[in-house]
Amino acid sequence: MECLIGIRFNDYVLLAADTVDARSIVVMNHDEEKFCKVSDQVMMAVCGEAGHTDNFSEYIQKNVKLYKMRYTYELSPQATAHFTRRTMAEYLRSSTPYNCNLIVGGYDNVGNKAELFFIDYLASISELPYCAHGYGGYFVLSTMDAHYKPDLPLEEGIKLLKLCIQEIGKRFLVNLPLYKVKLINKDGIQDLPTIQGADLVKYQVRPIGGDASAAPMEIGRA
Amino acid sequence: MALDSLCGFSTSQPAFKGFSSMCTLQNDLDVFTGNFKNNLQLMNPPAAHIPELEAMKVDYKDPLHRERKTPYGFYKTPLGYGPVEVPDVGAVTAPDSGLKIKMAHGTTTLGFKFKGGVIIAVDSRATGGMFIGSQEVKKVIEINDCLLGTMAGGAADCTYWERFLSKQCRLYELRNREKISVAAASKLLANICFHYKGYGLSMGTMIAGWDKRGPGLYYVDDDGRRAPGNLFSVGSGSTYALGVLDGSYKWDLTDEEAQELGRRAIFHATHRDAASGGVVRVYHVKEGGWEKISEVDNDKYWEKYSGDKMPIVIN
Amino acid sequence: MKGKNCVAIAADRRFGVQLQTIGTDMDKIFEIGPKLFVGIPGLATDTQTVHERLRFRTNVYELRENRPVTPQVLSAMVTNLLYEHRFGPYFVEPVIAGLDPKTNEPFVCGFDVIGCPCEPEDFIVSGTCEEQLLGMCESLYEPNLEPDQLFETISQALVNACDRDAISGWGAKVYIIESDKVTIRKVRTRMD
Repeated sequence: MECLIGIRFNDYVLLAADTVDARSIVVMNHDEEKFCKVSDQVMMAVCGEAGHTDNFSEYIQKNVKLYKMRYTYELSPQATAHFTRRTMAEYLRSSTPYNCNLIVGGYDNVGNKAELFFIDYLASISELPYCAHGYGGYFVLSTMDAHYKPDLPLEEGIKLLKLCIQEIGKRFLVNLPLYKVKLINKDGIQDLPTIQGADLVKYQVRPIGGDASAAPMEIGRA
Repeated sequence: MALDSLCGFSTSQPAFKGFSSMCTLQNDLDVFTGNFKNNLQLMNPPAAHIPELEAMKVDYKDPLHRERKTPYGFYKTPLGYGPVEVPDVGAVTAPDSGLKIKMAHGTTTLGFKFKGGVIIAVDSRATGGMFIGSQEVKKVIEINDCLLGTMAGGAADCTYWERFLSKQCRLYELRNREKISVAAASKLLANICFHYKGYGLSMGTMIAGWDKRGPGLYYVDDDGRRAPGNLFSVGSGSTYALGVLDGSYKWDLTDEEAQELGRRAIFHATHRDAASGGVVRVYHVKEGGWEKISEVDNDKYWEKYSGDKMPIVIN
Repeated sequence: MKGKNCVAIAADRRFGVQLQTIGTDMDKIFEIGPKLFVGIPGLATDTQTVHERLRFRTNVYELRENRPVTPQVLSAMVTNLLYEHRFGPYFVEPVIAGLDPKTNEPFVCGFDVIGCPCEPEDFIVSGTCEEQLLGMCESLYEPNLEPDQLFETISQALVNACDRDAISGWGAKVYIIESDKVTIRKVRTRMD
C-alpha cells in the first residue's frame, strides 16, 4: 500500500516516498522516513515488509561505509545498486529472504550523470528514467510517460512529481497524505519541501439536480 | 402489447416458460433452436440452465428466498415480459459443472464528458492468458445512432448483452415513439446485470449517448452497479489511462483536444499494460449522434507520442 | 539460429512484472567471449544472477586455463550451474549461440531450468512466446543462410512471434556473429 516514486533527469534525481507507517488498519506514524542515505551521493528509498526495510537498508548502508573506510573511496551509484541487488539476490535463495522494494538514486561524480535504479523484492535491477513501487505505479507510470523529458529543469521536475502525487491522491483508494522528497545532484543530497498529496487534488462534482450537460463543479484545492 | 406479433414476442415465450414444458424433443428443439428458423433473429437470452436449477432447488426449501434469488426475476423487469410460472424442477439434478472458462479480460476503455459531448476511446486487443488472440477487436458497440457501449471483461457477454440492449432500445422506440434516454438504456443493461448477479457474467461497460437531457455517460458492470459520471475508465489498463487523463482533463477542452486526449490516454495505457494494445479507436458523441473519429494502429503513434510530451500543468 | 559460417541470437527488451511493463531497455543477451553469447530469458532476477555467475565462472576458467571459453565448455558450465540448483532452480532457460574460437563452427544450444542441454541442427527458442517462435522459425528457417539473410529471418521470426505474445516485445536486439565481426542491431517492434 506504500508508494515510492523516482525520476531521473539529466543532472538530478528526485525521489519521493509516502510517510505512512501502517500496521493492520491503523496508521502508526504520519512522519515515517522511508529513505536511507547510503553515501554522500546515493540515496535509497525503501518500502516493503516492516522490519525488513530498516534492517536491509541499514545493512547496505553500513557495508558501503565499510567499503569506503577500507578503500578510501566510495562506491559509485551503479556499484552501490549492484551490490544491493547482489546482496538481496543471495538472501532471496536463503531461508530468510528480505521482502523489500527499493529505488536507488544517485549522482555519479566521475561520469557526471544522474542515475536511477529500480530494484524489486526479487532482486531484479533496472536502470530507468523513472519508476514507481507499490500500487502508485499503476497510476503514475503513464503520467510520467506522457510528460517526462530528460532535460526538465528542477522546477518542472517537481511539478511532474506533484502531478503524480495528485493522481495517486485522486485515484488510489488508500490515503497517502504526505510525501517526503529528496533531491540528489552533483552537490549531494538535499531535502525538498514535503508534498501534501490531498491538497493537490481537485474533484469534478456534478451539481445536485443540475443540468447533465452543464460543466461540473470543481471542489477541493483552492 | 401491440407489437407482440410484429416482434415475435409474447408472454408465452417458450424459453421463459417452466422446465415442465421442455420435456419433449420437439419442445427442446423449439426452445433451443428458435433462432434457426429465422437466423437474423437474436438468440433468446440464456434462460435458467444447470446452475440455476441448483439454486432453485435450494430456494424451494426456503420460499422466502425464491422470489429474490430466482433468475426468472429478470423477465419481470420493465422489459415487457409477463410474469413466469415457477417451474417444477423437483426431478432434475444438476450435473457437477467444474468447467472453467477462460475469457478475454485485458482491455483499456475510457469515456469522458466535456463541453463538446462525450469522448469514447478504446484499445482493440483480445488476450487469452498471455496469448494475443486478436489485435483488432471492436470494443465499441454501436447500440444505435445515438448510443454507444464499450466492452471490457468477457467479450461474449458484452457483445451479446449490448446487442440485446440494442434490440430493446429499438423496441422502446417503436413502442414509445421517441428515442430511449441514455439513463434508461443503461438502466436496462444494469437490470440485466443485476438479475444475473452471481452467475459469472463478466462485463465492465460504459454506455454513452446524447438524449434530450444532453450528453450522457454511465458506467454499468456485472455487479449490477450503474453510475452516471463525467469520466470513467474500465479494464486492466484503466489506471494507466486515468494517469494521463486526470492530468490534462478539463471541461472546456475543444473537440480536437478532447479527441487527442482520449487517444493519448489509450496509447499510454497500451504501452504499459501488456493486455491492451492494437488499434486506438476514438468516438465522439455529439448532439444528433455519434461519430467515429479515428481508428489507427497504436504503432503509428509511437514516434509521435514518445517524442512530443504533454506540458505539465497542475490545474 | 545457425547460418552459413555464422550464428544469430535475438531477444526482446521488455522488463515487466506480469502485465505491467516497467522498462523497455533490458538486455537478455550477454557477451561471454568475442564470438560467444548467451541469452537468458526467464525471471529477471535469475537472468541477472545467472549471468553474474556465468561471468564469474568463465573469467576464472580463462584465467586458469589461459584459453578462451568454447561454446561446448560454456554449455557444460551452464548445465552444471543450473543442475546445482536442481531442487530450487533458477527460473531461466538459457540459449547459447556462438562460433568455435578456432574452427568457427556455428553452435547453438538451449537448456531447460535444471540444465538439460539441447543441441539442435538449426535453431533453438526459449521464453514466454516459445510456441509462437517455434512456429515462426519452423516456417522461415532454411539452412546455410548468409549473415544478411539470417538477420532478416531471425528478426522476422522474433518480431512476429512477439506480436502474438502479450508480455514480449517492446523492442528487440539482434546479434549476428561472424568469424571476423559481431553485428548488433536494435530492431523496432510494436510498443504495446
